[in-house]
Amino acid sequence: MRFILNLTAREIRSSWKRLLFFFLCIALGVGSVVALRSLIQNLTRAVGTDARALMTADIEVSSTSDFAPADIAKIEDVVNTSGIIDGRNEAITTASMARPVDPENPNTRFVELKGVEPPFPLVGSFELDGGLAFDHKLLENDGAVVARILLEDLNVKIGDRIKIGEGEFTIRGSFDQEPGGSSGFRLGARVFIERKAFDEAGITRNSGRVRRRILYRTTDNPTELVSELRNALKGTTIQVQSYRETQENIGEQFTRTENYLALTGLLILVLGGVGVWNVARAFVEQKRKTVAVLKCLGAGGMKIISVYLLQILTLGFVGSLFGVVLAQLGLLFVRSRFAAELPENMSYAVGVSTAAQGVILGVLISMIFSALPLLQVRNIKPRLLLRDENNVSLRRLDPIKWILGGLSISGLLGLAVWQAGSIRVGLLFLGGLAATSAVLYIAAIILTLVLRRLRSIGPFAISQAINSLHRPGNQTRIILLAVGLGAFVVLTVQSLQANLLREFDFSSNQRLPSLFFVDIQKSQIDPLAAMIATRVDEEPETTPTVRARIAFINGQPIDFQQREVRQQQGQIGREFAVTYREKLDDNESVIAGGWWTSTDGVPEVSVEQEMADRLKILPGDSITFDISGRKISARVANIRKLDLRNTRTAFVFVFRPGTLESAPQSFATTVLTRISATDRQRLQRDVLAAYPNVQIFDVADIVATVQRLVNNFVLAISFVGSFVILSGILILIGSVALTKSQRIYENAVLKTLGAKRTTLAAILFAEYGILGLLSGIIGSGFAVLLSWAVSRFAMNISWEFDPLLTLVGVAATAGIVMIVGATASFDVLFRKPLQTLRSQ
Amino acid sequence: MITLSNLTKTVKSGIEELTILNDVSLAIPEGQFVSLTGASGSGKSTLLGLMAGLDAPSSGRITIDGDEVTAMNEDGLARLRSEKIGFVFQSFHLIPSLTAFENVLIPMEIIGAANAKSRTAELLEEIGLSDRGHHYPNELSGGEQQRVAIARAFANKPKILLADEPTGNLDTKNGQHIFELMEALHHQRNITLVLVTHDPALAAKAQRQVVLRDGMVISDEVNR
Repeated sequence: MRFILNLTAREIRSSWKRLLFFFLCIALGVGSVVALRSLIQNLTRAVGTDARALMTADIEVSSTSDFAPADIAKIEDVVNTSGIIDGRNEAITTASMARPVDPENPNTRFVELKGVEPPFPLVGSFELDGGLAFDHKLLENDGAVVARILLEDLNVKIGDRIKIGEGEFTIRGSFDQEPGGSSGFRLGARVFIERKAFDEAGITRNSGRVRRRILYRTTDNPTELVSELRNALKGTTIQVQSYRETQENIGEQFTRTENYLALTGLLILVLGGVGVWNVARAFVEQKRKTVAVLKCLGAGGMKIISVYLLQILTLGFVGSLFGVVLAQLGLLFVRSRFAAELPENMSYAVGVSTAAQGVILGVLISMIFSALPLLQVRNIKPRLLLRDENNVSLRRLDPIKWILGGLSISGLLGLAVWQAGSIRVGLLFLGGLAATSAVLYIAAIILTLVLRRLRSIGPFAISQAINSLHRPGNQTRIILLAVGLGAFVVLTVQSLQANLLREFDFSSNQRLPSLFFVDIQKSQIDPLAAMIATRVDEEPETTPTVRARIAFINGQPIDFQQREVRQQQGQIGREFAVTYREKLDDNESVIAGGWWTSTDGVPEVSVEQEMADRLKILPGDSITFDISGRKISARVANIRKLDLRNTRTAFVFVFRPGTLESAPQSFATTVLTRISATDRQRLQRDVLAAYPNVQIFDVADIVATVQRLVNNFVLAISFVGSFVILSGILILIGSVALTKSQRIYENAVLKTLGAKRTTLAAILFAEYGILGLLSGIIGSGFAVLLSWAVSRFAMNISWEFDPLLTLVGVAATAGIVMIVGATASFDVLFRKPLQTLRSQ
Repeated sequence: MITLSNLTKTVKSGIEELTILNDVSLAIPEGQFVSLTGASGSGKSTLLGLMAGLDAPSSGRITIDGDEVTAMNEDGLARLRSEKIGFVFQSFHLIPSLTAFENVLIPMEIIGAANAKSRTAELLEEIGLSDRGHHYPNELSGGEQQRVAIARAFANKPKILLADEPTGNLDTKNGQHIFELMEALHHQRNITLVLVTHDPALAAKAQRQVVLRDGMVISDEVNR
């Protein structure tokens, strides 16, 4: 044992420089896993631990329609008998339009309005700008407290008056963070007013987008009370939720995200493992004579393998620790770049258990990927010292090799399952990685074969470079695989970004409205249409809309007691805007059933594909709708697919004419013409002045918000993708080391034969240039394919080939590989040939 | 006592089989100094390597002190070398990542010998390199490297020293010095010394001179 430890220490002392890339490969991989996992864990802790503050209560009873007196009685009955209620309030939320009362100020903004009553908040605190605590008195007598951003958007200040619906409100305070406000994507700024002011402002009169909430604070665990409330409210669409369940849901989402991100980190670590494999192979190759000497001096094969394994594990361990340091630096970078978009109370420190997990992963990956190369030590014979021969290759049917290979794959699978937190996802990850690698590898083989046939065409430097790519022990395919994979990830993301942004680009979608008007009363249609026509020279189409809820499917109520169904309650239990018309719209197609084919007079409805999947219904099934208290049953005539790329309106349910005409209805209309921001503001303002009940969506604003989200998402993925490229570069550098001795020998021979240093440099640059070019072609080729497939089948958006992106991608990959490869090999050009030839 | 019985060694050279040793039989008694000479390719180094168990013969038997070397596995051969055989190569084969001191120390560490460091110091003293122990092989001259290799070969007090052209890469003066060192150690410790050499003058100084040609023993004489 002393021999093993002593020799390990001495070997590390002398070989650490050669194993630096090994160290970096592991550090980068571990750094990615630890940084990604820590980031999401810290985010969970910042958001998830405060689900109670998010809900601003312990229990929330909510509905998108008015609570029926009978339901309220049931709720109160259950709540009063529980004896754990310590506080109660009600809140109401909806989206609406806000504009300054000042006629000189033309701004209008879409806002998310919340009507509250004291005590608010029941749980947590609410701090306004200037460090003031929220006081309900601020809202009394038509007061409003608004998100700071709205002051900027509307160009107003504290004390100014704004108009929402038919009501006017004085701004009495502003805030940055509201209680229950970090629940993600929001279209408009939040405005708080008194709950009773909601009705007075006429906001609830027509809108179906209102959500009413009764909130309770409890003195004890609310779980039992929640289940009693659910029992009492069975058969209604009222939702009951405790903060504990919210926390559980958030927790589950975060865990899933954390595990997926950890798999991305694992991908980088596995690429690092490929680098480790390469470096270990180069290392064993360089140590052949030392191994032979040790064997000659009486050391057994296992003893020598133990020395090198211990050395690799030590470096893997130190590399992993360095990876943890990198992760911490990465988190600090995230803080400097994204702090404004992340929760204020979020920590940016790496957790101890995450760091430990990263170190274990790093050491295991080092072991898994160096095991097979190290096994070659067994086959190095001491006779090598008497007669040099290439005796290190493993026999084809070496059972230990196969057993170790099997163990390595099982180990890798174990790590994937561990990191994914699921056997299925772990298997899919490894299978997906193997399949992607296999495809890229086959492409690499085909390309290098084609290239070999072309080697006689080019000048000397090019043909020599092509020959070099085929030298014995070459790493061409593995470099093509690793760098190609990196380029593939980054270019796929870039291509998807380009297509996504194009999708939200006004100029490409002529049917995407620039303004969208809803809640128009029948009497308002003609004057509103006239107003629009004079301003934008467009005859707007109007669409009737009826508010409806699903009451029964095939005669059965939806069972919201089931957790899965409850999770979809937001989509199924909400109030829908439904319409009726004779014909299919341009952007629609029927995928099952027929379009108004029956003659029996039974009401018919067409259901959008995704909703049909969610409700698990087929043509011929029956849906009963609740329309203003009246139950109307309709037979599902067909399932309809919407082409969202060419959409003007997107109705989930469309009725056959003849059923809804007598139901209370409002109308929607759109402006398709592209008009300037000022004209849009002016039109909105004038419409709201004349018809305060109408709601207007400025699509440009929504698109800008979505574009910002897409950009952040792309930035995050590109950041991870760049780590994949970096891993590829490390593999490249490791591979350069692996074939360096051959290159030195070849250069010595070529120099002896009269080749100038410039010729050798040209060969070097040509070799890595070609390698980079092939990697770029493979990466961008598959990126084009994947981005097409994802756009077409997963995102359902149009896809366009971007030749510039592809060219830049190929050129950048070629450039990076050429510079890195040539730089890592440059010293070879300056070696004296005699010394090299003598030592051979 | 080393006995070689009907040793044959063939290797593949492309598609042809090349016979390096052809039915060689020898018996070397304990303490004898034997020189092996012959032209390049006559099979001298191969024969020496077979004696050390560095390679296996295609046929025939080798025994050392009655133990059959040809029946041993890799670990058995490693043990045999660490306990009984010292080997000196023409190109020294020191481990480049270790200092001179550590190169001499290694064989003792492999078997876990006691007082390894003090013995290493003694050995370096004996070969006149006690002040060069902390140097790496590439910082030593050829003669110094070969002296370190000899000290390493004697580290575990072997009964047999096999030397494969130990002076072949050295100038005359250094070569003479190395030969004298080995000869002195042979006398002091009464070890069996088998020396492969091209130099007829050195070969003539051995107690017994074996000449090989085309893998066969063509002469086996005891020097007067």
